[in-house]
Amino acid sequence: MDDLIKLVRTYRVTAGLAERLRLAEAIFRQIEPDLRLFVFSAIQSPAAEDVLQEILKSVAASLINFRKDTLPAFRSWFYTIARNRLNDHFRKKARDPLQPMPNDEILDLLDASEQAEPMTAADRHDLEYALKLLDGSKPECRGYLWNHYVIGFDYGEIAEEQNLNYDNVRMKIGRCLEEAKSLVA
Amino acid sequence: MPNQNTDAEAALQKLGHRVRLGWAKKQPISDKSLESVKNTVREQWEQEQTASRTSKPAPSPDKDQKPKPPEPGLEP
Repeated sequence: MDDLIKLVRTYRVTAGLAERLRLAEAIFRQIEPDLRLFVFSAIQSPAAEDVLQEILKSVAASLINFRKDTLPAFRSWFYTIARNRLNDHFRKKARDPLQPMPNDEILDLLDASEQAEPMTAADRHDLEYALKLLDGSKPECRGYLWNHYVIGFDYGEIAEEQNLNYDNVRMKIGRCLEEAKSLVA
Repeated sequence: MPNQNTDAEAALQKLGHRVRLGWAKKQPISDKSLESVKNTVREQWEQEQTASRTSKPAPSPDKDQKPKPPEPGLEP
């Protein structure tokens, strides 16, 4: 992800179509999996694929106007677009009760991650513990913990999504974590 | 249970990192997504070209034309 912001900066000063297409491909190869995980964690398939495509188009169309220079600002920007498109979807269609990602699917992803980064026995131990924390959490708490630790949203981003203030979210996540720890202990 | 040095927060952060890594391995960008992005970039670029063509003034027939003197009655 280190070169991502450089690609974004180069994109906005690039005039030629061929170069823009090359840069856009390099940028979206990096961010599409994150956006896909976010969308597919929030909506059931098959609507998720359509919403994802809308998000990608919106991000691509606005990319030339993104003016900030840091990776966190870029992430925050494209996730704001993604949340807006998700909200458009929820306005058209009642929100389905969200099913958490099943554990066997999570375990598959953990196995797949080993292809990129080998896992130690200590890692496995920690991951088992983390899964127990999620399993032990109430649905609302699981949602907060998932969004914060797995999707990677910071408190501000969750606050914006939930229409809450920053401290409220920080305290909620802290309480959820304490509760999960006490249930697993 | 995790060792004493590993707290719940660190374990969840590790889980998040691994899930995202695994997801990126298992779900690389699809051809459909790539096409959506490229079509959007192409459309936007074409709009920019059209906009810049229409906003440019027509080339002057006489490039060496000197500035006109002010209209009579408008001199300071």
